[in-house]
Amino acid sequence: MAKYISLRLLQSVFVLFGLSLLIFFIARVVPGDPARQALGLLASQEQVERVREQMHLNDPFPVQYYYWLRSLLRGDLGVSSYTRRPVTTDLRQYIPATLELILFATLISFIIGQVTGVLAGYFRNSWFDGASRLVSYLGIATPSFVIAILLLFVFSQLLKLAPGIGRIPIMMKAPPTRTGFMMIDGLLAGRLDVTLTALKHILLPAFSLAVIHIAQEGRITRTSIVETMQKDYITLHKVHGIRTGRILFKYLLRPSIIPTVTVMGLDFAFLMSNAFLVETVYMWPGFSRYAMTAMLNKDLNAIVAVVLVIGLTFALVNLLVDIIIMFLDPTVRLRQGGA
Amino acid sequence: MRDETKANLLAAWRQRRRNLAHGWYKYSRNPLSVIGLAVLALIVLVAILAPYIAPYPGHAKAYTNFREASQPPSAKHFFGTDRIGRDIFSRTLFGYRFSLMIGAVVLALGVAPGVILGLLAGYRRGTWIEVVIMRVTDVFLAVPPLVLALAITAMLTPNLLNQMMAIALVWWPWYSRLVFSLASSLRNEYFVKEAELTGASQFHILFREILPNCFAPIMTKMTLDMGLVILIESTLSFVGLGIQPPKPALGTMVAEGAKRLPAEWWSTIFPALAIVIVILAFNLIGDGLRDVFAVEDV
Amino acid sequence: MPNRSPLLEVRSLHVGFRIFEGHLRVLDGVTLSVHEGERVGLVGETGCGKTTTVKSVLRVLPMPPAKVTGGEILYRGRDVLKMHRHALHILRRQELTAIFQDPLQSLNPVFTIGSQLRDIVRDSMRTPEGKPLSRREIEARCIQALEETGMPDPARIMSNYPIQLSGGMRQRVCIAEALSTNARLLLADEPTTNLDVTIQDQILRKLDRLVDQKGASVLMITHSMGVVRDLTQRIYIMYAGSVVETGPTRQLLASPRHPYTEGLMASVPRLTGRGVSEGIPGRIPNYLAPPPGCRFHPRCPHRMPECSVEAPPMFDVGADQRAACYLYRRPSP
Repeated sequence: MAKYISLRLLQSVFVLFGLSLLIFFIARVVPGDPARQALGLLASQEQVERVREQMHLNDPFPVQYYYWLRSLLRGDLGVSSYTRRPVTTDLRQYIPATLELILFATLISFIIGQVTGVLAGYFRNSWFDGASRLVSYLGIATPSFVIAILLLFVFSQLLKLAPGIGRIPIMMKAPPTRTGFMMIDGLLAGRLDVTLTALKHILLPAFSLAVIHIAQEGRITRTSIVETMQKDYITLHKVHGIRTGRILFKYLLRPSIIPTVTVMGLDFAFLMSNAFLVETVYMWPGFSRYAMTAMLNKDLNAIVAVVLVIGLTFALVNLLVDIIIMFLDPTVRLRQGGA
Repeated sequence: MRDETKANLLAAWRQRRRNLAHGWYKYSRNPLSVIGLAVLALIVLVAILAPYIAPYPGHAKAYTNFREASQPPSAKHFFGTDRIGRDIFSRTLFGYRFSLMIGAVVLALGVAPGVILGLLAGYRRGTWIEVVIMRVTDVFLAVPPLVLALAITAMLTPNLLNQMMAIALVWWPWYSRLVFSLASSLRNEYFVKEAELTGASQFHILFREILPNCFAPIMTKMTLDMGLVILIESTLSFVGLGIQPPKPALGTMVAEGAKRLPAEWWSTIFPALAIVIVILAFNLIGDGLRDVFAVEDV
Repeated sequence: MPNRSPLLEVRSLHVGFRIFEGHLRVLDGVTLSVHEGERVGLVGETGCGKTTTVKSVLRVLPMPPAKVTGGEILYRGRDVLKMHRHALHILRRQELTAIFQDPLQSLNPVFTIGSQLRDIVRDSMRTPEGKPLSRREIEARCIQALEETGMPDPARIMSNYPIQLSGGMRQRVCIAEALSTNARLLLADEPTTNLDVTIQDQILRKLDRLVDQKGASVLMITHSMGVVRDLTQRIYIMYAGSVVETGPTRQLLASPRHPYTEGLMASVPRLTGRGVSEGIPGRIPNYLAPPPGCRFHPRCPHRMPECSVEAPPMFDVGADQRAACYLYRRPSP
């Protein structure tokens, strides 16, 4: 298993290397002068020329890439032309907020998706199955920005049930940053009010993110429950007199959950991209909104960094999913263990 | 002799018709898929006929009439008007034109290379050809498509062509991966082996023997992907990286309307609904096709 | 034996399946019975409705598309088809058990053998005082059940996953599962068809001995004459959804009466060197539009005009032997 994991890590490194090459290439061939963009229109031609030299823009592409890769390996991603700060500093500041949001959304979607999927599959062709099917179609077909706008409109503006935008109100003094997760930092600082306010603030954006995944996971789980229920072994479990509850929650659930977990890696990718929109709508001060701002302002260093961070996260999540699958599915585990 | 060929043709035609009838039966078992098909037909029709049936075709361009600005829905303006007095219903119809066109063009640009590369890699599995193609595919798949499309469009000038190219660029790898897995199992089938033994060219084997057998999954995936491409297109427009105003993109209209939300709800809700409906239609049809072709992993 | 009331009695069971082309009338009045302690064979070609019969008795047919359109299934006089969910559960827990054809599909792939076996014993068995078994008792019962099937090293098997076992081993596990709970009636649906010929015999012998030991009754489904000859006392011959002939095994095999049974016997290859079978011309009928009357008549060498009008009832053709064929109609008095 250790061998398998290290092999996978090696593959990921290779893919990330390719990704950096791709994104760096696109960033360098775009029309326009990165140096001019970094300095702004007011800079003199000599200043631009000096920066071009610093950025190795006058060298051929492979040399440029070499310099860039060298500084990347030193942990230097360059300076953001928009915030005028090192990109790594920006990332460190913004990533925790997005992580908090995404993890919360994953949790919501996994729990609700599983429960509805299992119920819809077990009571298939019932009214519940029909209703959840309809809702899941809608969930899949609705872009996340539409969901975000609608939820914000209905729950915050019309019903005034939830606070609107941001992580906590501007007036509120934030607790000292330790984990970067507002809810946990509040607890650590002994400020329950911060934790509660943060929880209220995260509900709408997290739910906006989760809707699509609730729909998707619910649907996959349902299909897989229906398929598993037709297997001989489930029939035999029934015939052999195993309790219905045990069949449902043990023998039916475990094999049916595997396809859902398998697509969770892919789901996470969509979660990360949808976070771009949701954070924009809710003014969530996180990584995705930073990325969005970078893109709208052609902040090349930041764009490249953002893409790489997402690629890295995606690779790690997929590895994690594979490991979970190995624990759930002995067939996979034994095959990998033997190989 | 001629009668015999005629009879054969007739039999083949009857078989085809029976298959079609069977396919339609399976498709129509799911009423939702039938509804999806009907809705899509309607959308395509109004999109094509938009210049003739839109009440105010002129409003799809630069046009201002502040006297009619910010009107709620009425018999005169079904979906109301936006802040500079343009008829949202007319703009939505034209928005559909762009969405459908972008979807079709992106798939046309992305699917062909993806399928060809996938066929090659699958058929030549275990050679350097497969390694190169599939590793490059992996690189493109290493980031969610929306993020890559956003990053690429962000670095280019936002316009229709660049938007389509960016989405197509992140779309082909999905097809090369799909066709790769199909082709690498099909190449061991008897009919492929037989063609190899009779000395058929690689072109013949790839496109005449293997490709036709990949048709069902490709078709299903394309239908589902039309919905996804439109979703991504509207997202790009929403953040301002799509076709530029005053041309009507549904995503842009939602974004514009969202700024004036509680009061002028119609200017965002209707375009948003329009997006949801067309994506929903493609998803429903895709699901129906999945049942007909009995394909699972698409 | 025929005078006692039977353990299982299937009366004129009709089951259909709804598909695209129409309504498949698969079971067309199956009637059979199994008495306490008896071993009965149900023989017929692939596709004649044997498995559908078994699944109907266990009430595990997927409905829809399947639908029972007539008849009843009585277990100790109670109709299984009308049973409430709870009563059905009790029945399965205490009385019925089954072994299916495909051992690769019969075990849950993501749990160990031990986990599945333990749960069966835990949920089905009670101490004589009606209390649940203790952990140790469950463990001992499981080990014993595996040992009884001739499995080496049961303790290790308990911690294995199905994928780690061969087909034969898995079928032994299935037998252990089926017989671990002292069920009274075993429905065995071609338990050795998917196994290597070399171990088929071994497994059947083991099954035979175990059933003897436990005193359970058996309904054995098979298309193999050899299996019924060795293992059963009485057989039913099925053709296209109904029973065409029944009788004591040896007697029936020695002197088949129904034209279909005769054809079936003739198509069994014999080792006596008298040449290969001639088989029966024609094919199993289409269940969408089965032939009217006797479903065998289009293939029957002795067909008479009335065969295509109404299906024949069972006529006595010997001691305890009956066949559904007009050839054996007594002239009316």
